[in-house]
Amino acid sequence: MKDIWKDYDPGSFFDELMFAKHQPRAFSFKLLEYLRCMEKEAFTQRVKESEVEMLERGITFTIYSDAGNIDRAWPFDIIPRAIPKGEWERTEKGLKQRIRALNQFIQDIYNEANIINDGIMPADVVYQSKGYRKECHGMTPAHGVWANICGSDLVRDHEGTLYVLEDNLRVPSGVAYMLENRKTTKRVFPELFKLLNISPVDAYPEHLAEMLASLRPDLSNPTMALLTPGIYNSAYFEHAFLAQQAGLILLEGADLLVGDDDYVYMKTIHGLERVDVIYRRIDDDFIDPEVFRPDSMLGVPGIMRSWRAGKVAIANAPGCGVADDKVIYAYVPDMIRYYLNEEPILSNVPTWLCRNDEDLQHVLQHLPELVVKPANESGGYGMLVGPHSSAEKVEEFRDLLINDPKNYIAQPTLSLSVSPTCCDETIAPRHVDLRPFILSGDDVYVTPGGLTRVAMVKGSLVVNSSQGGGSKDTWIVDESRQLVEED
Amino acid sequence: MLSRVAERVYWLARYLERVENTARLINVHTALLMDLPEHMEVNWFTLVTIFDAEQLYYAKHPRENEYDIMHFLLSDPSYGGSLINNLSAVRENARTSLDVLPEEVWEQVNELHLLVKSELSSIGNRRRRQKLLLTIMESCQCIWGMIANHMSRNYAYDFLQAGKHLERADMTSRILELATLLMSDNRSDALRQHEGILWATLLRVLNAQQMYIQAHNSSLKGEKVLTFLIQDKAFPRSLSFSVNSIGNYLEYLPGEKQVLEQQIEILTRLQDYSAEKNPPETIRLMMDELQILLNRLNTSITSNWFYPDYSVS
Repeated sequence: MKDIWKDYDPGSFFDELMFAKHQPRAFSFKLLEYLRCMEKEAFTQRVKESEVEMLERGITFTIYSDAGNIDRAWPFDIIPRAIPKGEWERTEKGLKQRIRALNQFIQDIYNEANIINDGIMPADVVYQSKGYRKECHGMTPAHGVWANICGSDLVRDHEGTLYVLEDNLRVPSGVAYMLENRKTTKRVFPELFKLLNISPVDAYPEHLAEMLASLRPDLSNPTMALLTPGIYNSAYFEHAFLAQQAGLILLEGADLLVGDDDYVYMKTIHGLERVDVIYRRIDDDFIDPEVFRPDSMLGVPGIMRSWRAGKVAIANAPGCGVADDKVIYAYVPDMIRYYLNEEPILSNVPTWLCRNDEDLQHVLQHLPELVVKPANESGGYGMLVGPHSSAEKVEEFRDLLINDPKNYIAQPTLSLSVSPTCCDETIAPRHVDLRPFILSGDDVYVTPGGLTRVAMVKGSLVVNSSQGGGSKDTWIVDESRQLVEED
Repeated sequence: MLSRVAERVYWLARYLERVENTARLINVHTALLMDLPEHMEVNWFTLVTIFDAEQLYYAKHPRENEYDIMHFLLSDPSYGGSLINNLSAVRENARTSLDVLPEEVWEQVNELHLLVKSELSSIGNRRRRQKLLLTIMESCQCIWGMIANHMSRNYAYDFLQAGKHLERADMTSRILELATLLMSDNRSDALRQHEGILWATLLRVLNAQQMYIQAHNSSLKGEKVLTFLIQDKAFPRSLSFSVNSIGNYLEYLPGEKQVLEQQIEILTRLQDYSAEKNPPETIRLMMDELQILLNRLNTSITSNWFYPDYSVS
C-alpha cells in the first residue's frame, strides 16, 4: 500500500484525515497506519469484496435516464471518513439547536406568524416558498413539531470551518445507506473496530420507531406505516429497508383509503384496518389528490382531511417544506436568535439574497466566482458553479437572475474539504460533505456521524448519487477512551 | 396483513417453487436422455409439452433441438414461463415484501438472480448447464430453509406455504400426464425396453425415488408409482399431501371458509383414485381436471384475500 499512498497530497484543501502530506491527524492515525501497512493486493481484494457485498445484498438506487431505469449498485468507497468525538458533540448540539428553531418557525408560520409581525422576516419571503401550504394553517402537530425527520447537509471549507449548506426537511433520503455502509465496513475491515472506539450507528431504526410512536401520545400501541411511492422510486430500497428495520408496514397509496369517519384505513386480508401514524416518503404535492395535485396516483384521497381532524399523524407534517427553501435558509441564524434567544452554534454559508438589490449587484459583478442556486430545487439541479462553468452558462444565469432575482441566492464557491478516496488503483483526495439525520418528536436524536457523500470525479464538487457521487462510512472516533485503554 | 403483501408473498412462493421444479425437471430429463436411444417418444421436446408451450415454441423455433429448447425454457425473456422470468418474478415479489420476509431471504434471492443472469450465456454447454441447475435447486432449498427457520408462523408464512403447495400440486399433475405415455398400449418397443429407467426418472423429477423405494422395496411398477405420487399421505410431494397442506394453511387465515370446501373437494377426488377405477388412458383427463380445479382454487384465494370487497366492512 505504501506505493499507493506515496503521492497522496491534499494540497491546499482541508483534509478530513490529514494535516498535510504524510501527516495523519491524531484521531485518524491508527486508521491510516493500518491502511498504509496493507499490501496492495490485499487492499484491492477488500475493495472487490465490498462491491460484491453491495451488489449481492441488493443495495441499489435507481437512475432514471432516456435509456430506461437502471438499478445501480450503491457506490461505496471503503476508506472511512473520521471525525473526532469532541468536535462531533459540538456539531450535534448545533444541529439540535437548528432543528428546534426550524420547527418553531414552521409552527409560527402556520399559526401566529410572529416572526413576520415582529419584522424579523418579510412576509413575501415566507409565502414565496414552494413548500408553503395554506391548507396547513391553524394546525399544531404533536409536540408542535413539523419536521420530524431532517437530513442536513454539512460541508467544510479550506480552513476546516463547518457550515450547514442545506436543511433537507421534506423527505430526506440516505439513512439506509449510512447503515449499510457501516455493515459493509464491519465485514470488510473487522480488525479496525478493535483498534478504535467508533460510535455505533445501528440504533437509528429503533429511534425512528420511538419517534413515530410519540406522534400519537393518545395511543399505547399505534399502527405505524411507511408510505412509499413504490418500486420505481429511486429510494425504494431505503423505504423497504426502513420498514423492515423499524417494524413499519410498507404501504403504497393504493393500499389506503380514508373512511367517512375521516380515519385512514389499509386494505388487509381481514378487511379494513386503521392506520395511526404514517411516515410518508411522498412529497406534499402528491400526497392527497383532493387537496394538492389532482393527477397524483401515488397519494391517498382525503388524507389531509384525516390529518387535519387529528385522526392520523403524518411525518413529516404536510407543509413543513416551507422552511426547506434556499431563501429562507438565509434567515435561519435569525430564527435561532428570535425563537431560542441563543447564538447559532453552527454557521450558515455566507449567502447573498438576490432579492436585495445591493446583493444582486454584488452577485452579478462576481458571477464567475460564485455558486448560484434556485430557491426550490434539490439534488444539485438547476444550479451554477461559477468557476466550473463555461462563459455561456454564466451568461445564461445572469439573464435568469435579472429576470427573476427573488428566486435565487448566491454563495461563495467553497473549496470543500477532501478525504482520501480509492480511485482507479490509487488513493486520491476527493471532496466530501456530510449528511447527519435528525429525528424530532418529544425529544431530538442525531445520528452519530451520518452519510458522507464523496464526489468521485477529480475536482468535482457534486456529491449527489444521482450525478455520479459515492459514499463513505463515517466514524465518530472517541480518542479519550482509546488512550485510557492503552494504559 | 395487507392484501397486496399477501398476494406478493403467495406469488413469491409459487414462482420460487416453479423455479426449483423447472430446474429439477430439466436436470433429470437431461440425465435421462443420455441413457436413451434417439428417436423415441420421450425426447427434448417432451419438456416443452410438459409446460404446455408447444405453440409458443413453434412460433419461434422451426426445429426441435436441445439448444433451442434449452434457451426457450431457461433464458428466453419473451417466454413468460422461462426459468429466468420466473426467477425475476421471485425477485420482484421479494423486493416488494421485504418488510415481512427474513432479511436473508432477500439476499439469497438477489444473489441467485445475479448468478443465473451471469451464467445464462453458457447454458449451451451441457456440463455447465447441469451444474447451474443444481446450484439453482440448492439455492431454492436454502431459501425455504430460511423461511422455515427464521419466520414466525404468521399469515405471511401461511400464504407462502399455501402458494408453494398449490404450485407443487400443479407441477406434479403435469409430470404425471407423462405417465399416460409410459403406460399407453401402443407404446414403442424402445420405450418398453427402457421402462425401468423412465419410471425411475419420473420419481426423480419429483424427488421421490428414495422415498418410494423405502416404501415399496424398489419394485418399479407403473401402477404403484402412480398410486404413490397421487395418494401417499407421508410423502411431501404427492398430490394428496400437497392439496392437504394447502388446506392446513388456509385454515389459519381469517374470513370465509368456502375456499376450504373447494380444497376438500379436490382432496376427495385424489383419495378416490385407484388403479382399477382409473386405467392409464384416463390419467391425462384426471390430471387436466385437477389443474382446472387448482386454478379455480387459486381464483378463490385471490378474490377472498387479495381483492375482497372492502365496502362491506
